[in-house]
Amino acid sequence: MKIRFIVVVVFAMSTVVSAQWLKHPTAGIPRTADGKPDLTAPTPRLANGKPVLAGLWRPAPGGPGVGNIARNLKDPVPFQPWAEALLKERRANNSRDDPTAKCIVGGVPRSDLVGYPYRILEVPGMMVILYEAVHAYRQIFTDGRELPKDPNPAWFGYSVAKWDGDALVVTTAGFNDNVWLDNSGHPATEQLRVTEKFVRKNFGNMDIEITIDDPKAYTKPWTVVQPLAFQADTELLEYICNENNKYFEIIPKLNADR
Amino acid sequence: MQSVRIAVALACVMTAAPAAQWLKQPTPGIPRTADGKPNLSAPAPRTADGTPDLSGLWRPAAILIGDIAANLPPNSVPYQAWAEKLYKERRANDGRDDPTANCIVGGVPRSDLVPYPFKILQVPGMMVILYEAVHSYRQIFADGRSFPADMNPTWFGYSVGKWEKDAFVVETKGFNDRGWLDNFGKPATDKLRVVERFVRKDFGHMDVYITIDDPGAYTKPWDVTLPLALAPDTELLEYICNENNKYFEIIPKAGSR
Repeated sequence: MKIRFIVVVVFAMSTVVSAQWLKHPTAGIPRTADGKPDLTAPTPRLANGKPVLAGLWRPAPGGPGVGNIARNLKDPVPFQPWAEALLKERRANNSRDDPTAKCIVGGVPRSDLVGYPYRILEVPGMMVILYEAVHAYRQIFTDGRELPKDPNPAWFGYSVAKWDGDALVVTTAGFNDNVWLDNSGHPATEQLRVTEKFVRKNFGNMDIEITIDDPKAYTKPWTVVQPLAFQADTELLEYICNENNKYFEIIPKLNADR
Repeated sequence: MQSVRIAVALACVMTAAPAAQWLKQPTPGIPRTADGKPNLSAPAPRTADGTPDLSGLWRPAAILIGDIAANLPPNSVPYQAWAEKLYKERRANDGRDDPTANCIVGGVPRSDLVPYPFKILQVPGMMVILYEAVHSYRQIFADGRSFPADMNPTWFGYSVGKWEKDAFVVETKGFNDRGWLDNFGKPATDKLRVVERFVRKDFGHMDVYITIDDPGAYTKPWDVTLPLALAPDTELLEYICNENNKYFEIIPKAGSR
């Protein structure tokens, strides 16, 4: 119970800080006659005709968000029995073993769902995401390379991408087996493979269609869609999770008590 | 006391080991000699507008992370009295209050000195540095903006950069007052202003001329040169500092002496 309270306080505090940031006008974006960002303008495109994905984005209402990735699913999550039991255990203990409580990165797809902005950069051969959350980044290789045969197990995995029409399709594998898919604790294993299709619908809106394929934790792949909203005239903040984190004061005591 | 030093040493050794395990990844599009090796003495590449292209994977070529003044003449750091006293205290207690032991980012200029690779990206209006250390990043705005009037105090500060001929000159301000300049604990205050001049000498070599200007801690500005070497045919590793960090087991106990 205490844990839930702390998490709520942390979220509330970081929202306040976000509002204190000095506005900085985003250069070169379409604006309406009154100077406001024109978020319904057409998707900008590169010289090669592909959509520009670069910009500052943030998960928008209507998607699952980071609380429960399966929130909007019509069908039940196709759990393996052990995975369903583990989710229930994590729900019952208020996610006390959540790695992000220890300031570890959320990984994929969880970092996409966190309610803080992130900046997408497109450079030759690579797309990079700078997440405000935990001040972490992720590299997505677009230079045609294959996934490595024997990757180092990682929280963010190893990501490669290619265009499929107007969708950038990112495939990520090579995860460790500690990743949580969301705050409620949907499990994942080292067999996790995530496919993210980034589709920019217009200037201000993008969808990420996320497919979870982890045969060790789920009986079949399942898909969710997270809409993103472009964040105009603002900037990323420096989110340093280890500053004044109470995890190490609280959780070891709770674990010793149980 | 000794356990802190050992823990820090162990952490360094352990993070060095995985670097060697990473599958080699050939860096595409770099100049190579006839035998296929990267040609590190080829000319510095340039972007379409003629300025040097600084992008690539770089790594410090001098060990300055312990003592950022290691290559300066003895006693040349112009400490104010309180700053020298604090520095000596940190040396005497093995850097026990080092914020990076708590997995906090090193900030500027310390993150440049850490002997892990970092990737420089040049994108329109911005230079970005992806640091392997603590898996953190830094944005340097190069769109002509000036500093915000009232900056959030931060570890990395707020950085703006511009070209002066072939040097990319980065000015950083808006720090909090808790940054350490190096592992030994040279202090800095919220008056710190850092200037980094990035000069790519050839394909494989870059110098960063760093000026420390902190009238809160030093009597005058002082300069350090950090050489960088391009790191070809490899990649950044995922360095997650909070995995199995022993800080909270060791330091609170050490503090209760």
